[in-house]
Amino acid sequence: MASVVLSEAEKVYIMHGVQEDLRVDGRGCEDYRCIEVETDVVSNTSGSARVKLGHTDILVGVKAEMGTPKLDRPNEGYLEFFVDCSANATPEFEGRGGEELGTEIANTLYRIFNNESSIDLKLLCINPRENCWVLYVDVLLLECGGNLFDAISVAVKAALFNTRIPKVRVLEEEGGREIELSDDPFDCIRLNVDNVPCIVTLSKIGYRHIVDATLQEEACSLASLLISVTSRGTLTCMKKVGRGSLDPESIFEMMETGKRVGKLLHSSLQTVLDEEEKLGSARKKVGFLG
Amino acid sequence: MPLDHRRVPGPEESQAPLLFVPSGAKESEPPPAGAAHRDPTALQPLFEFRRAPFSGRGARGRPSDREPELSLALQEALEPAVRLARYPRAQVDVSALLLQDGGSALAAALCAAGLALADAGIELYDLVVACALCRAPSEGEWLLQPSEPEERAAAARLTVALLPSLNQVSGLLGSGEGGPPDSWAQAVRLGLDGCQRLYPLLRQSLLRAVKRRTADTQEPSEREEAVEPPVVTA
Repeated sequence: MASVVLSEAEKVYIMHGVQEDLRVDGRGCEDYRCIEVETDVVSNTSGSARVKLGHTDILVGVKAEMGTPKLDRPNEGYLEFFVDCSANATPEFEGRGGEELGTEIANTLYRIFNNESSIDLKLLCINPRENCWVLYVDVLLLECGGNLFDAISVAVKAALFNTRIPKVRVLEEEGGREIELSDDPFDCIRLNVDNVPCIVTLSKIGYRHIVDATLQEEACSLASLLISVTSRGTLTCMKKVGRGSLDPESIFEMMETGKRVGKLLHSSLQTVLDEEEKLGSARKKVGFLG
Repeated sequence: MPLDHRRVPGPEESQAPLLFVPSGAKESEPPPAGAAHRDPTALQPLFEFRRAPFSGRGARGRPSDREPELSLALQEALEPAVRLARYPRAQVDVSALLLQDGGSALAAALCAAGLALADAGIELYDLVVACALCRAPSEGEWLLQPSEPEERAAAARLTVALLPSLNQVSGLLGSGEGGPPDSWAQAVRLGLDGCQRLYPLLRQSLLRAVKRRTADTQEPSEREEAVEPPVVTA
């Protein structure tokens, strides 16, 4: 992963700041940086979102394609995640450099969606055993500025909120079934994203833990706990990342903090998404020019 | 080849010459949670978790299905335990091969890899002990070390790895519908308790292995093992 090299003095400076609940950029331990979210930025997708969190820049596109349901889940559609680490983010990602990080992030995304309540997959079924919608979620990492996982999960949630899947009808004929697409392009189904979880990464620095670490802070932290929280405060995934170990008591504290921070993150994200939705077509798109 | 003038033609990361001083020169050793000073030119340790194609039930698993994730979990859980600073310019290869999945595969692999590292005489801060847990659907109880059918039917799964004498959690990986944080916290506590109960057993088996070896060869010979494949039969 993209990382910076810090001197001992710089690390001590950051660690002492965290101890006093004052970070280098003036935030407290449980504060996020300012998040910019814009949905519907790529017109060729079924849903898309771009999220900027500090210097971290993520673009997510969701494409709905028709496929066959998985054998063990005949009346459900499914999600596929692909993460592409652009070489624009850091020269390390050139060639196949970003592949390892990409699969790690994609696996984490599979893990946080690996339960029945996050998304109603039955809605994506068209014809049991035969046809279903497959949502290809493509994550493009444009810039790394720390806290990738949180930013990506926010972007994925925003993109899923924005996703519009065309309505189809199944016609029974003597020669078999036929699928008919609705004539009205605005006749589409929306996904319910209330239970889509967001990732909160808590990095242990010294004796305290912080949320939304910058690259510099990540360099000071040896271990962090990644949890995914839904808007109702339930956890769907829990994972230790990094090469250090954690004290059991601090894990319990981090889980409580993560739940609190995650709920707040969800509610503010939902307000922003609803506000943007209300503007409708009158909204001025910022895109990549802003 | 045309040169890229926008980039500084130098190393991507600059490092202080102090970093290249062999860490063995200093007597003060870094604490387990502290930054382990390693020679930056040293090779990275390699951790690998592979599953035999016939290890699971049902359809033959694709080889690259979940292996990268489990390998990473193996690495992140074992790295805190190994005193990597003592092995500059060395590579420790740990490869676990899952022959038959009878449930709690990752936990078994972690225990086996920890034991194999200790058996190979690699310096460790502590042994790694791991436990798997799963929770039945619809608000069920958390079960320790589930079997394969239990694991398949479970709504949530969790693997906890512990360094028992230091009381540090070195690995944690879980997902599913586990409910509120309290329920997960309960699961972690149960898992840690399970690890503590498993610890004497692993210690005994290590002791037995050493005794057997000393009995075989009257004087203990120092053996170097570069690659040790801990075969996991869960």
